[in-house]
Amino acid sequence: MKRRSFFKKMVNAEEDKTGASLNPYSGKWGKGEAMHLLRRTTIGPNIESMNTVISKGLRRSLDLLLEDQSEVAPPINYIFENDPFVPMGSSWVDAPYNDTQDSINYRASSLRAWNAEILLNETLSIREKITLFWHNHFPIDLGTVSDPKYMYDYIRLLRNNGLKNFKSLVYLITTNPAMLRYLNGNQNSKGAPNENFARELLELFTIGKGPIAGPGDYTNYTEGDIKEMAKCLTGWTDLGYYSKTVTTIKSSFNVGRHDTSTKQLSNRFDSVKVSNENENEYKTVINIIFTKPEVAKYICRKLYRYFVYYKISEDVEKNIIEPLASLFIAEKFEIKPVLRTLLNSEHFFDVSNRGNMIKNPIDFSLGLLKQTAFILPSDNNKRTLSLQSIIRSIGGQQMEYFYPPDVSGWKAYYQEPSFYRIWINATTLNARMNYTNTLAGNGITYNTIKYQIDVLKFIGTMKKVKDPNLLIKELGEFFFPFGLTDNQIVDLKTLILPGAPDYEWEEQYEAYLKNPTNVMIKTGLETKVRNLIKAMLTMPENYLS
Amino acid sequence: MNRRNFIKNTGVHLTIPFLINGLDIFAQPESPFISGMDPFDDKILILIQMNGGNDGLNMVIPIDQYAGLMRVRSNIALPESKVLKLRDNLGLHTKMTGLATLFKEEKLGVLQSVGYPNQNRSHFRSTDIWNSASTSNDYINTGWIGRFLDSRYPGFPEKYPSIEYPDPFALTIGSTVSQTCEGASGNFGIAVNDPKNLKALAENDAENFESISYGEELKYLQNSILQTNAYSKLIQKASEKGKNLATYPTNNSLATQLKSIALLISGGLKSKVYIARIGGFDTHANQTIAADNTTGTHAELLSSLSNAIEAFQKDIELLGVANRVIGMTYSEFGRQIQSNNSGGTDHGNAAPLFLFGTCVQNRITGENVQIPNPIPAQAGVSMQIDFRNIYGSILVDWFGVKESEIKQLIFNDFVKLPIIKNCQTATPVKEVLLPMFVELSPNPTWGPININLQSVGGDCHLHLMNGQGQTIKQQKWNGMFAGEQNLQMDLGDLANGIYFVHIRQGLYHKTMQVVLQR
Repeated sequence: MKRRSFFKKMVNAEEDKTGASLNPYSGKWGKGEAMHLLRRTTIGPNIESMNTVISKGLRRSLDLLLEDQSEVAPPINYIFENDPFVPMGSSWVDAPYNDTQDSINYRASSLRAWNAEILLNETLSIREKITLFWHNHFPIDLGTVSDPKYMYDYIRLLRNNGLKNFKSLVYLITTNPAMLRYLNGNQNSKGAPNENFARELLELFTIGKGPIAGPGDYTNYTEGDIKEMAKCLTGWTDLGYYSKTVTTIKSSFNVGRHDTSTKQLSNRFDSVKVSNENENEYKTVINIIFTKPEVAKYICRKLYRYFVYYKISEDVEKNIIEPLASLFIAEKFEIKPVLRTLLNSEHFFDVSNRGNMIKNPIDFSLGLLKQTAFILPSDNNKRTLSLQSIIRSIGGQQMEYFYPPDVSGWKAYYQEPSFYRIWINATTLNARMNYTNTLAGNGITYNTIKYQIDVLKFIGTMKKVKDPNLLIKELGEFFFPFGLTDNQIVDLKTLILPGAPDYEWEEQYEAYLKNPTNVMIKTGLETKVRNLIKAMLTMPENYLS
Repeated sequence: MNRRNFIKNTGVHLTIPFLINGLDIFAQPESPFISGMDPFDDKILILIQMNGGNDGLNMVIPIDQYAGLMRVRSNIALPESKVLKLRDNLGLHTKMTGLATLFKEEKLGVLQSVGYPNQNRSHFRSTDIWNSASTSNDYINTGWIGRFLDSRYPGFPEKYPSIEYPDPFALTIGSTVSQTCEGASGNFGIAVNDPKNLKALAENDAENFESISYGEELKYLQNSILQTNAYSKLIQKASEKGKNLATYPTNNSLATQLKSIALLISGGLKSKVYIARIGGFDTHANQTIAADNTTGTHAELLSSLSNAIEAFQKDIELLGVANRVIGMTYSEFGRQIQSNNSGGTDHGNAAPLFLFGTCVQNRITGENVQIPNPIPAQAGVSMQIDFRNIYGSILVDWFGVKESEIKQLIFNDFVKLPIIKNCQTATPVKEVLLPMFVELSPNPTWGPININLQSVGGDCHLHLMNGQGQTIKQQKWNGMFAGEQNLQMDLGDLANGIYFVHIRQGLYHKTMQVVLQR
């Protein structure tokens, strides 16, 4: 059957079932479904993960993906010999600074490389995808809060709590030292209120802004609520920013800076009065916000846009978002049941929701390394340096971990009407192409260390490596949501077999297997395979997840 | 020939970077179709977006309000003696020597208290409002430039680049396209970081998945790649052919962006709109260095802005293209009048903006901001000039759009402001936006207000706003007679406090404070 008519059929069949339901998915379970689940929940699924998920089936795979993970060891001093508080190879996260800028710089590099390595080492777990979701939801950037100890503490909070309870997460982030600095909560005091955090707490972090209903009234809350809630949050400060004495950074409540007056909320919050509760008052404020059903809907929409698709039709709002939000409330804002229900649903596996997400740059770039089983050097210093050069090459694609553009997060997750399409423009297309061409091509050389995808080893993991047509087809299924068309396979084959008959590929590959150290044979084969992989990675199909 | 046909005709299904570059057909910038087709065709607009919400009161300073400024923002206020005077009662921040020079050279328009009714203080919502030119309550997915371009170049993006229009319509120096250029079916802009370093991307064509969203996104990617390749060639050519003749400040990202723009213009690129950005204006804390309020974050930003524009203006003059280029600055909102105790300012309402170029009217439009006393909580600067009248006036006087069309493209109540002059024919300066003679009484009032005004004739609009810029009441009198008029308004249903009455009739306007006290 021609591919095109095959899809027409598939789509028509799906239209009959509507596909817009949260009922558990019970259809076909094969490579396509397994890879869809993995592409959306992990960064760069490799062949091993694919095979595990195919064999375990959907339910058991979700158990694995949502399982709690043990905490990763903290980042270490990998290079700087003159830090009196941190010997080489030890962690710096609870150590004061000395006088030099270098003692700060190495920690920032260490933090970023350590974090990238966690993403690269992640196996069958949703943890890194959901951590990035929260990083986008509660954004803080290393340019603004530049003390690496603060940013470590912040990302640790998100990573350790990202699958637990959303309300508890809001409690934690409200008094997190980095957030206190980022949104000026540490300057918010009695007599000098700073409304920055209170505004974003409502507008971006919990309930979202509704349509303007009247002067200063955003349906879900009012300007007055921002002001009053800012008063409720007064008195918190952080301790230890770039400190030469403080070991573990923390936040503290200073009762003298707290506004003890009774705060009057608007009718949007049932005209509730908040009387003084000192250091517990912030929890009361959050509890009040969470009584409103719009909170669950707002977060479910964001989760939907992150895991499924950016367009939320009326049908999706009614049949997916609303029931998901009801579940979120019934489960007292536990995150796992909501994710599980969404990822287990007919709707999630509907053909209309596959392959329609333009990968973000982190997924695209680090994902490639994971897909192709890229191996990092074991030496601490070399490994960190190699991770740094990878991080640098991702920056040009306009998404850097620890550098969300502003408090709204990355535009691709909220900007109507383009959403994910914002990742794509003349600059980023060039940056993506340069990245894949370099890694699949001649590699990056940095400080005499060379990083490159081992393409021969990679294609060796394919089942049908000796048949050029089947090999390319298999690669297509592995990299692309809907594989390759027959014409595309024919065109791509010219890169490994320019005009020659198919059996010549098998002969060349056999010759290499018999004699893997023969440079002539190996180089000849490798050059062709590099051209093939480079070409596939720059195809627009590879930008989709 | 459009691109889709091109692909069909050449039978290219999948192409590889080193095998493909078949779009030479578009690379004919000297096409005879272009020159002299449309008198507005070579006009260029530069938009400078100041991200974060600019503290306009620290940029264009009402010298006659110094007592008020010291009362509400002494911790950040510039010393009066440091203000660069544009006229006796108004001046620029001390670091803006470049723009002060442009004003002396008659190349700078200052528009005071620009905003919109019902101010929204969210960064991204207010940015959307400015970029789309929607009202505060409407959500519009297209940008104001995008709608203008849609009306001129139907069939975008499918039919472009074409032989008549090979150039990108709009260009951002940076990483993301501008929402101002969002058209009904795609963004008219492309974004490039370094115009000298662009490469061809892999192109391919597959129509297999048209019926599912995967197909939609794939098609989007394919179109982006094709367009990027075609446009990249022209941009690269222009950057090789172009030059810069002025010296630009270093360590100034805006200057670097404007330098690239001047290079491309001089190289013959025919994009109509260029967008540059400068970020960091969200100064909630420590916007000045306490020991010296002439320094600090905000001062540095204003210095970068001013120096960059000055260098750019000099460059386009030396390059001989100055009469084709104007520029405009904007920011999503101004900040609150009263500073906070963190040495910063919180999200506010209206703010001044600049127009620059040899073809802009060199004048100050609008009255000085009045500092209310006492200052209402969270008060921002009240709007005097609706930003949509500026957009509309640029489209009419610069891009040749009919005034009647502006009602469709921008908004129904459009009034053209005399902010651009006709460089070619050097017509005498037209009427400015004039202060209106209005008296309010009683003030303070317990409810009723009598408004006595000298009508010039025509539709008269009245907005009553609170300190946060929200419109609380509005009224319109159609075809009011010229001469003295008495209008009444009742504030009896409102809470005690300070309100602002904004009255506008044609080119005349007035914003006044009224105190409600029972």
